[in-house]
Amino acid sequence: MSTGGSTFWSAVRLVARREFTERIRDRGFQISVGVMLAILLASVAIPAAIGGGSNKYDVAFLGPQQTQLAQTAQRQATLLDVDVRVGSVADRAAAERALSDGKLDAVVDNGRILVDSKLADPLAAVLQSSWATVERDVRLGAAGIDPSAVNQASAIAPMPRTTLDPNADQRDARKGIAFIGTLVLYGMLMLFCMWVASGVVEEKSSRIVEILLATVPARALLTGKILGIGLLGLLQMLVTAVVGLAAASALGTIELTGAMVYPVALVLLWFVVGYAIYACMFAAAAARVSRQEDLQNVITPMTSLLIASFLAAVFLGQKGGTLAHVLAYVPPFSAMLQPAMTAADEVSVPENLAAFAVALLALVGLVRLAARMYEGAVLRMGGKVGFKESLGKSARKR
Amino acid sequence: MLELAGLDKRFGEKVVLDDLSLTVQPGQMFGFVGTNGAGKTTTMRIALGVLAPDAGEIHWHGAAVDRGVRRRWGYMPEERGLYPKMRIRDQLVYLAELHGMTRARAHESTERWLDRLQVAGGPADRLETLSLGNQQRVQLAAALVHEPELLVLDEPFSGLDPVGVDVMAGVLRERTAAGASVVFSSHQLELVESLCDAVGIINNGRMHAVGTVAELRGDDRAVRYRVRLAQAPTGWADELPGLKVLSAQDDTVLVELLAGTSEQALLDAARAAGRVLAFAPATPSLAELFREVVNGTEVGA
Repeated sequence: MSTGGSTFWSAVRLVARREFTERIRDRGFQISVGVMLAILLASVAIPAAIGGGSNKYDVAFLGPQQTQLAQTAQRQATLLDVDVRVGSVADRAAAERALSDGKLDAVVDNGRILVDSKLADPLAAVLQSSWATVERDVRLGAAGIDPSAVNQASAIAPMPRTTLDPNADQRDARKGIAFIGTLVLYGMLMLFCMWVASGVVEEKSSRIVEILLATVPARALLTGKILGIGLLGLLQMLVTAVVGLAAASALGTIELTGAMVYPVALVLLWFVVGYAIYACMFAAAAARVSRQEDLQNVITPMTSLLIASFLAAVFLGQKGGTLAHVLAYVPPFSAMLQPAMTAADEVSVPENLAAFAVALLALVGLVRLAARMYEGAVLRMGGKVGFKESLGKSARKR
Repeated sequence: MLELAGLDKRFGEKVVLDDLSLTVQPGQMFGFVGTNGAGKTTTMRIALGVLAPDAGEIHWHGAAVDRGVRRRWGYMPEERGLYPKMRIRDQLVYLAELHGMTRARAHESTERWLDRLQVAGGPADRLETLSLGNQQRVQLAAALVHEPELLVLDEPFSGLDPVGVDVMAGVLRERTAAGASVVFSSHQLELVESLCDAVGIINNGRMHAVGTVAELRGDDRAVRYRVRLAQAPTGWADELPGLKVLSAQDDTVLVELLAGTSEQALLDAARAAGRVLAFAPATPSLAELFREVVNGTEVGA
């Protein structure tokens, strides 16, 4: 039987459009987008909030030499590259209140540092050296020596430093991105593949599949469904990536450079390939059952595989090692290991490309296998269709 | 014109269709009757390309059927099915487009059929919120929305209330009047008898009889009369010449006139035997013909 190419693809387009518009209207989808963005923003904002508090200090001074101390402290802070803001408090009681409220990090009162619970090392250095300088000037004055001459002699620029691993910070940021990326990738693959699977069962359990297959080839239905849901997934991934990077760069957690964007782009790329691979497997498995209740039963191998590759990416990917390097080429593990390992500098761009090619080859084979299983099983109602049975003589003409 | 020729289908060891053939003319309403499991649904699925036959051919207007042809057909499967959570208008537009209509025509046709079939509820309602009867109407609209040249309906009347049956029958008549062919299966034989131009009786995967109801009765079938007498002796007709008594129950006998016997002679004999309460030719109904085929016995025997 002939199937015009244009008919096939126009059917695919119609099926894909239905999947896309029906899902985007779905309340469950809208909520999942919201939850995903909320988790992402939290994972970007929380480290920024914690990290941001650590090198900005509010201090105040009491006692006879408070003005000199404040000036000296500010000078020292600049030299030591510590961000210190000097505030003012009326008296000891007010100071203690401000400390316990967290408005001040430290108060210097008459040669004593007051803190609420603990004193950060950079702030301690600034305060101690300021105290030493002011005290020394007082003693030099008492001994009849001009403090400004001594000051001049001791105005020595701090030693410059050479960082042997200047990219360590950036690498940590990239590892962070890779971890969040892997998490998002895992969540999205699971979500969208489950949609493909439950969509297949929905058509089978509502029996509309019989009407559809009287009009369009089974492969067009399968292709359209995977493409429509996949496009929606890609769109959500893009939004997630843009929002995530924009928020992280706005909060100063990362600087938007090529090295930061590349792992994100890789996550998007591997989402496409990983989704295609998993969606085929989920769809073929789902076609074997006629009721949503039976779905979990047949897709457990696929969900286990997905969970295993997520764990591999998190626990093996960033550390490297032989197993990780082997798995990084094995689809579908490669989908989650490659972005994580790239961010950790474990694999290079040529290795990305090689793994990508292997995944594409596997995909071509898998698409055929999945289409055949889907065609063989989708019209058989009732109990679970056996794996071999679905692969057997295809029940329908193409 | 739809022609199914020599269809064979087995599921494993079980023969489901055995050399089944049938023809449906344009503008013809074809009724398909048979017991459960006789092969009606399988035949329809094969015609629609949902199943592939093991042997046999399907022709439409003399040419082999492909998907392009089938896109101009409409199908209502026995197991009703649409997307439960999809809005009914979107659903119908989608199906119309899948059958090759443009978006604009699909919208127009959807509105027309929702209106024609008096589907209660707004077009933006989800299918699952409608009553079962209304869901049935939407299901019929789904088969009709692309103005098919051939309608294949598997048990379209099952589960319909009397008003629904009338709406369905009216719509099917309208389609055949417009030149479309309609094939439907049903267990409601009186309905098939009153609606259909042609009937096929299928049993165990074989087409046992096909033709108009009149043809199925058979022009050459022996003439039968049912006579009801009051105050007549038992067995009054047993010895009459030129006829055979097929059955006698209470005051009614069913006789078959042998060739050359006049029904007037029978009437005279009856009047002589007692007071005639009823005297009528006994034409077998479709239901009787059907039982005859299924049980392999003669009507009234």
